[in-house]
Amino acid sequence: MKRNILSCCQILAVALLLLSSCVSHPDVPSESKKTDSLPAIYPDYCDVTIPYNIAPLNFMLPAAEYSACVARFTTPDGKQQTYGKGVKVLIADDEWREMLEGAKGKSIMVEVWGEKQGQWLAFSPFELHVAADPIDEYLSYRLIEPTYVAWSYMSIAQRNVTNFDENEIFNNAITCNNREKGQCINCHSYQNYKTDNMLFHVRLSNSGTVLVNDGKVSKVNLKRDYTISSGVYPSWHPTEKLIAFSTNLTRQAFHTANSNKIEVYDLESDMILYDIEKDSVIVVSNDPELLEVYPTWSPDGQYLYYCKSVPLPEEMRDKDIRTTYPKIQYNLYRKSFDAEGLRFGEEELVYDAASLDKSATLPRISPDGHYLLFAQGHYGCFHSRHSEADIECIGIDDEASENIDIRGVNSDGFSESYPSWSSNGRWIMCASRRYDGNYSRVYFTYFNNGKAAKAFLLPQADPENNTFLLKSYNRPEFMVEPVTISVEEFSRVFD
Amino acid sequence: MVSLYGSLLAFIAFVVYILFNNQEVLYTAHDRSELLYGVTFFTRIMSQPFAALQYVGGWLTQFLYYPALGASMLVAIWVLIFIVGIKAFQLKGGSSALMLLPVACLLTSVVDLGYWIYFFTIRGYWFSQSVGLLLMLLLLWFARATPRKWHFVWYISGFILYPLLGWFALLFVLCLALTEKPSWQEIVCFLILVSTADIWHSLAYSNMKLEDVTMAGFPRFATPSDVSTRLSVPFWIMASVIVLIPLTKRFLDKWFVPALCVVASITFTSTFMFSDENYINEMRMTRSAEANNWREVVTIAETAKRPTISMIMLKNVALMHEGTLLERSFPMGNEAYNKFDPDSVHVSFLEIAAPVTYYNYGMLNEAFRLSFECAVQAGFSPAYLKMLARCAHANGEDNLANRYIEQLHRHPFYKDWQPEKVSEKIKELHNAYPDEITGVESSDGYIVTSISLWYDSDSKLASEQALFFSMMRRDSKRFWASFRKFVKTHMGEEFPIPVAEAYIMYMDKAPENKKVIIPVSETLYERYKQFWASLENNVKSGLDREAVAEKMRHDYGDTYWYYNIFSRRVY
Repeated sequence: MKRNILSCCQILAVALLLLSSCVSHPDVPSESKKTDSLPAIYPDYCDVTIPYNIAPLNFMLPAAEYSACVARFTTPDGKQQTYGKGVKVLIADDEWREMLEGAKGKSIMVEVWGEKQGQWLAFSPFELHVAADPIDEYLSYRLIEPTYVAWSYMSIAQRNVTNFDENEIFNNAITCNNREKGQCINCHSYQNYKTDNMLFHVRLSNSGTVLVNDGKVSKVNLKRDYTISSGVYPSWHPTEKLIAFSTNLTRQAFHTANSNKIEVYDLESDMILYDIEKDSVIVVSNDPELLEVYPTWSPDGQYLYYCKSVPLPEEMRDKDIRTTYPKIQYNLYRKSFDAEGLRFGEEELVYDAASLDKSATLPRISPDGHYLLFAQGHYGCFHSRHSEADIECIGIDDEASENIDIRGVNSDGFSESYPSWSSNGRWIMCASRRYDGNYSRVYFTYFNNGKAAKAFLLPQADPENNTFLLKSYNRPEFMVEPVTISVEEFSRVFD
Repeated sequence: MVSLYGSLLAFIAFVVYILFNNQEVLYTAHDRSELLYGVTFFTRIMSQPFAALQYVGGWLTQFLYYPALGASMLVAIWVLIFIVGIKAFQLKGGSSALMLLPVACLLTSVVDLGYWIYFFTIRGYWFSQSVGLLLMLLLLWFARATPRKWHFVWYISGFILYPLLGWFALLFVLCLALTEKPSWQEIVCFLILVSTADIWHSLAYSNMKLEDVTMAGFPRFATPSDVSTRLSVPFWIMASVIVLIPLTKRFLDKWFVPALCVVASITFTSTFMFSDENYINEMRMTRSAEANNWREVVTIAETAKRPTISMIMLKNVALMHEGTLLERSFPMGNEAYNKFDPDSVHVSFLEIAAPVTYYNYGMLNEAFRLSFECAVQAGFSPAYLKMLARCAHANGEDNLANRYIEQLHRHPFYKDWQPEKVSEKIKELHNAYPDEITGVESSDGYIVTSISLWYDSDSKLASEQALFFSMMRRDSKRFWASFRKFVKTHMGEEFPIPVAEAYIMYMDKAPENKKVIIPVSETLYERYKQFWASLENNVKSGLDREAVAEKMRHDYGDTYWYYNIFSRRVY
């Protein structure tokens, strides 16, 4: 109820926007000059594969070049509908639903005309391939400026991807009791895409880990005398009330000329296992020489995957990390896990990135257990700031396709990071800075039998919002249901 | 009547005088005021009580781009407040002048901020309070014009309008209650209003702290590092005056009241107004530097008697662009004085002029980072959007630049704004050094420290900067390293006198084993000896450091030696 009232401002804003732009069905231009090129629409939705339950893919032509845009959508049954208001194509929700429903497993053809200096140009048509596999209805992310040291207001928000509804899960203002210290919220995480078991961290003022256990909210402190920090990057065991965390001493530094601008690195990092029922913390791995980070469970819960740095060359070991940071590389490992005895097996190397002079981070296993996604760059553990970083995928069992090709996920020269799978394993989501190198946005890619289609940007009611929003989408996570606990309910655990 | 009109004229003249003197403050207000386009910003700002007025205030603040235009709009609102206030309170004769007092409070609130202007985050501050008071008085006027039996509706409207008017809604109901004898139903409504904030908090604003919903819109000046209760005083006084008017008006219809109100207003505003020449000059210099008007920057610097570090830095950037840095900088003076800041707020060169300074030294990542850090805390105002766009453009990040330019193009006066072509000097300095990683060195002296290390570069301009900043640092090691590079990159050129002065001094006091020999004029060397003789004599005579410095300023204030010995700030 409260959440509905709270989001009324947003609905009002979207409604105002839609009213002001008024979904319209213009006539296609009677005369136009044909071009051989695809339209330079933003976002680029040309020939993408989309789920049948996604929100309307509104787009626009660049306002600096064009004065008007008309798009005609033709569904497999031959029905046609046109859209266009100014340079924007804003599609009516009910008409969009109808189009997708009729095109499930087929394609919708889109023809675009753009008016440039008084003349209409007809671009080559493109297709929207409509997959028969749905995407998880919700995703959550932290909205934060791609910040350096300072920060101010930030929120963890959730978005219904079948429409444009977005609301806050939590923000860093409501329980901040020390303005000088400030408050940072991060690392939202869910068990099996569901929200009755979830967590996020609150740092600095009023700090702790906010844990939802079977719908009950509490705040816990995961720091122990024998750990280097409280829990940082989490992964819920798929069936047990256990969460693996890395513990990190993280620092950042700034490039004076490199376009990557920021370097984030760990001085130390280990891994722990938190037993929710017993409120106990077990050390999983704490090699004093090496850095272990980003734990993630296999879908059956029998393995814990993680990243671990490889030893530095002897001559570099005593050097300052500001000198050695380009040489720190991570491989992917796993350990078997006995849930009854809470015991881990021996470490197994899963992917030797260092031998390729690369560094692999953020592993995620596909729900069917066949594939392993990860982010890979030249060095380090924080690829969201490495322009060369891409998402990679390997098969980890015999049922995986031998011809894996996920180039469609990646951009050329911009960072892709934080990959994840939808609950049905058909959609890959990642955060990418491909538009401008600075602001990360959420991209989806259809994945089928080892092949990834061309990625597409999370649709917005107004496509320009992607430009006007001066915040990054941080740590996008799929969910099959919304978080129903309100900000105020979460805040009560701080009383 | 004569007394009233005379007083009004005097007050109007005072208002015009104050606003005229604060033109740069008003321009800076627009430059540091955030109003972003897009659903997310709108949703975020509208999710708070008083948000609509903040948004309107933020929109109107854009007009301060032309201070005269923005100031005229402010004055127009204040005139309306005066007129509507008279109607709302049914003031007559001399008591009408009482409405000058809230206007004086609003005027004061515009000119009393001082260095808070650089980092306070109250959106739409410059207009929202004036518009809020005007709406509140209009409501009061309408309410009193309606039949008495309907007045309970107005009491309820105080509750309903709280999300729009914030604390002005409560002030409205209080004033309504004080202007008439309320019925018991109205008293019940009035009592409910005590819980307005709580009710609205649970109804619509549960994502916020209750304390941020209570007295919504009442300006509170607090940042993570600073708090000021002084700046809220004009609003407390304004509220008190508004409440007292209905209680006292019948006693105040006297001939002397207008004159008294004007005197009180002028005294109050003059007392609270932030008045400092350097404060204004910093704004003028920063604005000129952002427009690449280096001549103007130097002209302002030439007239400054006790410049702040921001002024010194901007002067040196300007001299670099004019090509006379090494010749003129030390003779003009490089001693920086503390800014006048009774509030001791944490604002320094970093917030005032560092981004434009970094940018002009080709330190684009640093300029971008600093602008970003400041913008995240104080808002993505035009000042930061422009600098972020300029840095991104200079770095070849066109899509990133466009993101900020698109925002600026929604501003009525930046519709055609584009970052200028990057100057050759900025490019040369930017390319002078390879990438390295640094920590969080966000201090005033970061530029001085960094650039004084640029002595490895073969760039002629970079070698000049390295030499200059090693002289600023009074660091003999860096001086000799950069001097050697300077000699190599300036073969056959005449040495600027301050460089020769530094050379003589370091040869005398901190020579290196491997000496670099350059010809120095006999006259200059003689003057150096006289400088030391004079210094020794003055010290022997028992004068303290300040007195010696003052005594020697006339004869040697233009020399590097004087800077080296007497400048108090160690960069």
